Amino acid sequence: MVYYLIVCRSLTYAQRTASVLERAGITAHIMRSPKAIAGEGCSHSVKVSHRRLKDALVVLRRVGMGNNRIYITEGDGSYKEVAL
Amino acid sequence: MIYFDSAATTLQKPPEVAARAAAAIRTMASPGRGGYRAAADAAQTVFQCRTAAAELFHLDSPEQVVFTLNATHALNIAIRSLILPGEQVLISGFEHNAVTRPLHALGAQVRFVPGGLFRPEEFLRGLRSELEREAPAAVICTHVSNVFGYVLPMDGIARLCRERGVPLIVDASQSAGILPVDAAGWGAAFVAMPGHKGLYGPQGTGLLLCPGTQRPRPLLYGGTGSNSRLQEMPDFLPDRLEAGTLNVTGIAGLEAGIRFVLETGTQRILAHERDLLAHFLCGLETVPRVRAFAAGDLKDQAGVLSLQIPGTDCEQAAETLARYGVAVRAGLHCAPLAHRSADTLEEGTVRFSFSAFNTTREADRAIEILAARM
Repeated sequence: MVYYLIVCRSLTYAQRTASVLERAGITAHIMRSPKAIAGEGCSHSVKVSHRRLKDALVVLRRVGMGNNRIYITEGDGSYKEVAL
Repeated sequence: MIYFDSAATTLQKPPEVAARAAAAIRTMASPGRGGYRAAADAAQTVFQCRTAAAELFHLDSPEQVVFTLNATHALNIAIRSLILPGEQVLISGFEHNAVTRPLHALGAQVRFVPGGLFRPEEFLRGLRSELEREAPAAVICTHVSNVFGYVLPMDGIARLCRERGVPLIVDASQSAGILPVDAAGWGAAFVAMPGHKGLYGPQGTGLLLCPGTQRPRPLLYGGTGSNSRLQEMPDFLPDRLEAGTLNVTGIAGLEAGIRFVLETGTQRILAHERDLLAHFLCGLETVPRVRAFAAGDLKDQAGVLSLQIPGTDCEQAAETLARYGVAVRAGLHCAPLAHRSADTLEEGTVRFSFSAFNTTREADRAIEILAARM
């Protein structure tokens, strides 16, 4: 299944991101970032479905939380950064 | 036991506090260090507590809430973040050693705002004059004196600091959970508080609110579960100030305490404590020889009352009260500066401090004991 990962600088930021999305009716799941995309080491990501990414970005930008790296899953299990 | 030492720590807590702490110790692991259920539950609990604190103290974001061991820890971070050795700092005459000792250790030049006990207007005039004389690196001010319950005029203090661009550190140790603490509205750089007093959390919990734009300086360095490849501490909150595993057990209890305050309302808690204070003061009129330090207008006092019994050592008075089941604190209350400002440094005082769980019946019983035994 294809999904997106919104990479967050901290666990608290990821929690806030997920909270904002859930309040907007967008299912969001917090997970530790896969090592390949974690940046400077450990980080957390918010997972959203392929079809809700656009809505999620609109919601996050509205509350000033739109500056995250975003990755999409590839068929082989790897991740590719999405240019927005 | 009649417990009148809530200015040290609240003993009676809402039952959910112990229940949540007990559940946490049984089921929760380290937040942010794993994706498994026990770690996720811990992370969720910590976030819920941050969110509740952000709501109570009017913060924009839960990231502005930093967990500390206590108010002293939080004050040390705030002081080290804003003041360099040799720099000037302006403080009230009612500060606790949690403020004055870190400043002393830092080698800061401490100036005092003139203004006597229960004289808020005089304090504001003194602060204005001191700020005009020379701008300090920061102003540090307690919201409520831990010895006398004196409510300092924080809205006016914050306004003067904002007007002159001087960072403000507020010690809300005696006001958090009792008086409105508008961290963002004040424009304070930092607001420090314990979790175990008016917020009814367990001991070993405290909060540093960081609503300002100042970059805080960590007091502890270590793992944060973020940016692990870098040797510098993260430059974002709360991670920058939260090295090591958090006190999840305490934080779970603290969340229950903050929820209690949110549900009850600080206005109601304050009204209850002021009613008790007024009732207690009224009862004291029947006790000969007692000198009570009470504000002329009770809006200048919150939940704490100091008294002296001339001819009786304050520690002995507290011992006698303890023998008859009344818990109070005597001496200097770790605030010699406040005692100096009120001219009680030599004798000390006996301090009665109330919580949402005290009753007028308890106050009456304490008065009876004072009248009969002192």
